[in-house]
Amino acid sequence: MPQSIETKPAGQRGQLDLRHVSKTYDVDGRTLQVLRDVNLMVEPGEFISIVGASGCGKSTLLRLIIGLDADYQGHILLDDRPISGTSLARGIVFQDPCLLPWLTLQDNVALALASVPLSEREKTDLVRTHIELVGLTGFERAYPHQLSGGMAQRAAIARGLVTRPEILLLDEPLGALDALTRMRLQDELLRIWETEKITMILVTHDVEEAIYLGDRIVVMQANPGRISRDINVELPPVRQRTDAAFIALRQEVLADMGALSQSDRGGPARLRRVS
Amino acid sequence: MSNTSVTLPGAIAGDRAGQPATAARRRRVALSSLIGLLLPLAILGAWEIASHLHWVSKVFLPTPERTVASFFDLLFNEGFYFDLIASLSIVGQAFFYGTALGLLLGAGAGMSKVIERVFGPTLDGIRHIPPIAWLPLVVLWAGVGPLGKVIVISKVVFFPVFLNTLQGIRNVPQKYVDLAKVLTLTRWQFTRRIIIPGALPSILVGIRYGASLAWALVVVAEGLSGMKGIGFLIFRAQALLMTDQLLVCMVVIGLIGFLIDYGMRRLEGRLLRWKQGFEGH
Repeated sequence: MPQSIETKPAGQRGQLDLRHVSKTYDVDGRTLQVLRDVNLMVEPGEFISIVGASGCGKSTLLRLIIGLDADYQGHILLDDRPISGTSLARGIVFQDPCLLPWLTLQDNVALALASVPLSEREKTDLVRTHIELVGLTGFERAYPHQLSGGMAQRAAIARGLVTRPEILLLDEPLGALDALTRMRLQDELLRIWETEKITMILVTHDVEEAIYLGDRIVVMQANPGRISRDINVELPPVRQRTDAAFIALRQEVLADMGALSQSDRGGPARLRRVS
Repeated sequence: MSNTSVTLPGAIAGDRAGQPATAARRRRVALSSLIGLLLPLAILGAWEIASHLHWVSKVFLPTPERTVASFFDLLFNEGFYFDLIASLSIVGQAFFYGTALGLLLGAGAGMSKVIERVFGPTLDGIRHIPPIAWLPLVVLWAGVGPLGKVIVISKVVFFPVFLNTLQGIRNVPQKYVDLAKVLTLTRWQFTRRIIIPGALPSILVGIRYGASLAWALVVVAEGLSGMKGIGFLIFRAQALLMTDQLLVCMVVIGLIGFLIDYGMRRLEGRLLRWKQGFEGH
């Protein structure tokens, strides 16, 4: 790896601390609470998944963390320092790959380095290694319209990582992909996370994806948006979707999200609680 | 890395050298451009027959041969070039000034709401008085020479360029604005890498439209004032019942208009290589 942008050693940076974060919108004179008292501590190098039904404020939360929206109450600290505005220490991959159609793949990735004080040579090296990291070598000069959805999202991941952020936010990055590409990219994400050793926060509405990737699952509920549960995933590092423990955890999270009807809940323990 | 082996047809090669044209493809392209010639040839044929069989009086419809002869006569004996150059020079200057001012003010208004509010109402007022209505006043002030025409036609070029630049900038998607913030681009980087290329398709539409309006309008302006230019010739030909000259002027005006638009389309194709839209079956 060429020299990293931050000098702090990896593994120590990337601690994110949310304290009493709330956000309200004014809609037609009425106040709408989107987030209420969100508290969350993400350790360096952790992979955490935030799940919740649409409207629970999970994407809003990411917008606050990335710094696109400064209108909130509470504190957001990265490595004990309050965040202000956007910063290259915090990278993001949107659901829409958001590649600029007039730039080739490598220029899209390189755009992230536009405001980084590195020599052209170092930038070229960084871009090349990150395109390689996401498995797109050979497509450097392709324009976005020539890429498939999965490839475009890989390129967006490379752009998110090329600045060597302390923390990478993933806002439903695989939501628009077909099932097969999605599973492939989930494995890619895990591999990248292990290589880069950075903190990752994944927002998704797919519970299986959340469990497959996360060390921790944070469940959010809507009206107002809040954290309803924080679960440590105690499964082996390489997870099997068909594993009994995996499925049990999935049912548990789904129940927390209020996604299961009475008949789905099953199991004597739950039946007893209902009656 | 399972996806690396997937190849996209034309993704890399097409980027460098365009689609490889096979012989069959080339033949098909040649054939389809021939199709475009069918209708003009039919009209030319009808013209030949109608004029030779005297379906229409010679005064109103000279034969094609007579018209071609008239073209050479105009060219070699009547200084047709000078008129042509006079018209082209007016259009060239007006196009330059109108485009420059349209880009400048359009970019300013697109980037800043204040500039838009300062200039918006005035420009809207000016816009709704058609160029032909401006001409008498401008001629009164600037004379029947080229200056007045340059002013009026600059105005005609200015508006589509101005409006499309403004609209093009405003239509840059919010997600790209967010992206620029996330990547901490400077204002200048944001403008150069995102706003300008994002607005370019719309700007080019404005410029192309302005150029064709300018050429159409110079004919009218010259017909209404002054003693020079292809517009003057065509109205004089009508007054003197020289239908052959009139037809020559019409064909030349059409050809030049076509060439201007063709040039603009080529430019657009070059600048917007990254763009892929529906091109028809």
